[in-house]
Amino acid sequence: MDEISAIVSDTARRLLRGLAEAAGTWEDMPESAWTAGWQAIEDSGLLLALLPDGDGGLGLPLSEGLGLVRIAGSHHGPWPVVDTMLARRFAAENGQDVAAGPAAGGPSEMAPHQRDIAALARACQMAGALEAVLEMTTAYVGERHQFGRPLARFQAIQHSLAVLAGEVAAACAAADFACQRIAAEGHDPILAIGIARARIGEAVSRGTAIAHQLHGAIGYVREHRLHRYTTAMWRWRDEFGTQAWWTRRVGMAVIAEGSDGFWSSTVAA
Amino acid sequence: MKTLEFPAPPPRAGDEDLRREVRNFLESRLEGRSPLQRAESWNGFDRQFSRELGQRGWLGMTWPRKYGGHERTAFERYVVMEETLAAGAPVAAHWIADRQSGPTILRYGTEAQKEAILPKIAAGECTFCIGMSEPDAGSDLAATRTRAERQADGSWRVNGTKLWTTYAHEAHYMILFCRTSGSPADRHKGTSQMLVDMRATPGVTVNPVLDLMGQHHFNEVHFEDAILPAGSLLGTEGEGWAQVMGELAFERSGPERFLSSIQLLIELIGALQGAGGEGGRNAVGRLFAHLVTLRHMSRGVAALLERGDDASVHAAIVKDLGATFEQELPDIARSLIDEEPDLASTSHFASVLAYTTMAAPAFSLRGGTREILRGIIARQLGVR
Repeated sequence: MDEISAIVSDTARRLLRGLAEAAGTWEDMPESAWTAGWQAIEDSGLLLALLPDGDGGLGLPLSEGLGLVRIAGSHHGPWPVVDTMLARRFAAENGQDVAAGPAAGGPSEMAPHQRDIAALARACQMAGALEAVLEMTTAYVGERHQFGRPLARFQAIQHSLAVLAGEVAAACAAADFACQRIAAEGHDPILAIGIARARIGEAVSRGTAIAHQLHGAIGYVREHRLHRYTTAMWRWRDEFGTQAWWTRRVGMAVIAEGSDGFWSSTVAA
Repeated sequence: MKTLEFPAPPPRAGDEDLRREVRNFLESRLEGRSPLQRAESWNGFDRQFSRELGQRGWLGMTWPRKYGGHERTAFERYVVMEETLAAGAPVAAHWIADRQSGPTILRYGTEAQKEAILPKIAAGECTFCIGMSEPDAGSDLAATRTRAERQADGSWRVNGTKLWTTYAHEAHYMILFCRTSGSPADRHKGTSQMLVDMRATPGVTVNPVLDLMGQHHFNEVHFEDAILPAGSLLGTEGEGWAQVMGELAFERSGPERFLSSIQLLIELIGALQGAGGEGGRNAVGRLFAHLVTLRHMSRGVAALLERGDDASVHAAIVKDLGATFEQELPDIARSLIDEEPDLASTSHFASVLAYTTMAAPAFSLRGGTREILRGIIARQLGVR
């Protein structure tokens, strides 16, 4: 990542973190606050980050634009940030005017290669959201006391948290892997996206279960931020191709290569 | 707190030339090796094979030339390691020496120790065993009781027992972790590492401990007034704990932590071809996604080691996830293919399934138990 991309991501992270933390309970948010938040996101230029170079975007390579998508996943708020980024990219690709305003309901009518990019964007969002969930959970078990000590002092809690951290590390690695593969020659980018969706979808299942377990009942209430991430990930993991569909697609490609081609497929993936 | 990043190794065309060269060699060298033999993975022992790797310059690859090394990158070494594992090559005669003993000697050894031993490892002529665990010091390594006492002439008198010592009966040397002062109550203080010549040290006895398959990999090694010559100390007296933690980081960092049951996955895919159905496609897709992600993470560990960074927590994560992945394989294979596991079967799937099922419990024990690894990860998260 060069210096300019580092500045862009720091700026995006600061903006989205501030907005997400101030959003409170989304259902109780005044419309004026929602509109002001959206305007701040619009003004930042972030929504154009996935536009191809020359279409008035930020001039970022796609892999770095997807880095911003991951940040949006980490600081998930009540605005359709990623869906609007995708809708604007696809509109530009299709030679349509890039519509102003939020793309509620996400991009519609995608070509297959656009659906694949949307699927990868979901993978990156999930990786980012899992990072946020790990951070929230780690902080919570350090603060919450039961039996006269912080939850973090119990070995059962430490080991659950370690499993969560392993899943988050794997999810982030899988997202990185797929983002690198779509930029590299000599690899099948669709296979890489399928690998990321299969692995990250599983990390979501295991990771969200642990995060809810460690947060206890408080994480299950509407006022708590945890479910903003977990319920979003339970949708994302099956959008733009379900996890099962992507997983079977990978499996079909691997089985077709047979046992003799298996290791070569692994190295070439 | 920040998520651990696993940096991507730079793409290098030269590595792929090396990969082809290694693959071609393995294909002809291992012709006729059965899938069941390949499933033994890094437990397979063949001195001649190790010598041949050494002759090709594929051992001690990253070490300085003056010690018999080849000054190649960590990624080139990674290519050789993963290709030999994926092919089910018998690597046990050199694996421990090349992976951890050699690097530990390179880091802490005296000039004399390096000159005497490293060229032999790089030539594939030298087998090492690991002297860490004891009957009462397994996961709790700091409880080690084996003691080395310095004699008036500078030699060391050793008493104690090491356990689970893989291939001690074939080894030329052991790196012994032991106490040189204080008592087990002092924990990691007062510990040191020693080089033990397994062939020329009176007072060392090696007794086999057969595993649940009746195979002989483990041993119990007794030291009874064994005298190690002056110059046997490896590194600094009293710094054994820090040194042994470094050695464990080498031990946990490699692709053998998720490739040791790869033969079963290969046989499963063969069995599913043309007959898999949705369940087979789903299972293989999932396993492949795990495997490729683990490989990406493991290459990231190599990238960290190449730039001299501490990769011990990264390695713990890869080993923990890798062991879980490998241990799931037998049950997934059983759920998809209707064949009874049988070591003696002529069906490759049935024999490899039987072997891997019985090998699997060790995957989350050897090289640091799952519980120890999760403790290391939790400490990194700041909750321990």
